[in-house]
Amino acid sequence: MIKEKSKEKNLNSNLKRLSEITDWFDNQQEADVEEGLKKVKEAVELIKASKARLKNVENEFKEIKKEIDGEDTVTNS
Amino acid sequence: MPFIVRNINKTTMDEKIFTVSEYVDRLNEGLRKYSAKVIGEVSSANLGPTGHVYFYLKDDKDQSLLKCVIFKSKYDLYGVEIKDGVKIIAFGSPNMHKQYGFSFVAETIEYAGEGLLKKEYEKLKKKLSEQGLFEPARKRPLPKYPQRIGIITALKGAVIADFSNNLEKFGFRVKMIDCRVDGQIAVNDLLLSIKTFKKQDIEVLVIMRGGGSLESLIAFNNERLVLEVANFKVPVIAAIGHHKDVPLVAMAADVSVSTPTVAANILNQSWSQAALSLERYQRNIKDHFQNILLNVRMALDSALAKTFSGFNALLLRFKKQLEYIEKAISANNPERRLALGYSIAKCGDKIIRRTADVRLEDDIDLRVMDGTIISKIKKINKKND
Repeated sequence: MIKEKSKEKNLNSNLKRLSEITDWFDNQQEADVEEGLKKVKEAVELIKASKARLKNVENEFKEIKKEIDGEDTVTNS
Repeated sequence: MPFIVRNINKTTMDEKIFTVSEYVDRLNEGLRKYSAKVIGEVSSANLGPTGHVYFYLKDDKDQSLLKCVIFKSKYDLYGVEIKDGVKIIAFGSPNMHKQYGFSFVAETIEYAGEGLLKKEYEKLKKKLSEQGLFEPARKRPLPKYPQRIGIITALKGAVIADFSNNLEKFGFRVKMIDCRVDGQIAVNDLLLSIKTFKKQDIEVLVIMRGGGSLESLIAFNNERLVLEVANFKVPVIAAIGHHKDVPLVAMAADVSVSTPTVAANILNQSWSQAALSLERYQRNIKDHFQNILLNVRMALDSALAKTFSGFNALLLRFKKQLEYIEKAISANNPERRLALGYSIAKCGDKIIRRTADVRLEDDIDLRVMDGTIISKIKKINKKND
């Protein structure tokens, strides 16, 4: 559970790991299907977690924008 | 009733016997209300040992004489040299000195006539200019984001209203001194106001008054005031209206503007710019962060697509490898060879590969596509035979 949470929170390291996975596919000389499947499963997990985290970040950002825009309206009035 | 009271008082006064001193005091009380501006030509000017100046003002028309004195403390203020033949305007009130008799005590003095004023203005301007007082290099920049502002002006009138209406709400803390700004009498007030502000924690001093004639602006051409402004501890903004001759105080100030509105705008300037910058930064940060979020989303989508396509490619490659191996195995299948006409010869359990593997008369099995042929060795021919 703790591992899951940290996975979700580390957007940046998730992206880095995803980049490593895609590089692995690009540079694969031997067709290691078993290892490839493991990587696909890992990538899908990372992407799911990252999208969830991204959604949270976007929502927080929306709130902040609302706050700032609200302040602007008060200042201008 | 009041009539009776006045009569009683009058009678009492008539009967009272004053000492000389008491009577002179009483006389001076009455004389005080005769304060006035008097114009005349100076004669018999005499600088006393204590620095007070004694002189007469003479009337052009009938040679009437008014005995006058101006005390050193006042004389030093105005930059007017009292010498015989100079026409001046003295403001003051009559006074009966207990030892020396009657004198008109001048509070202020100024040169009379626009021509003379202009001449003196030009003279002082030249002198101060030669001292480098108006040099642009002396001008100090106004502090950015000033907050503590000192104002010297007359609080009655449009000047302060114009200034206040145009000073925006940037958290300014304004201290004001209500000060006379008209005529020679303003010099003392202005000097005292500057003295007061010297002890105050301010970042900018603003001296303001509306426009006027050379005569009404005379205080702003006072040498001592100009020096005080030029050497003031913080930058000075002068907003002194004028037509032709720029007041010397304005020339010595760090910033000179023509109206209180412009003075207020100058104080607003750095704050307004900061407000605009904040708005711009805010917008930039919002846009940049929005782009970052978009990029992350795109990166995630791209990673997913790449992973899937990478894995598909991997599967395809694996399939191809399998097919290749299958073909290779199929190509090397011995059954297939037998169908093509090849056979496998065995002697006992051993496959015959060389002539040395058999001897004459040995029985050998020849395996062909559909069965086995038993044969006997009749002759052995080696390749090099």
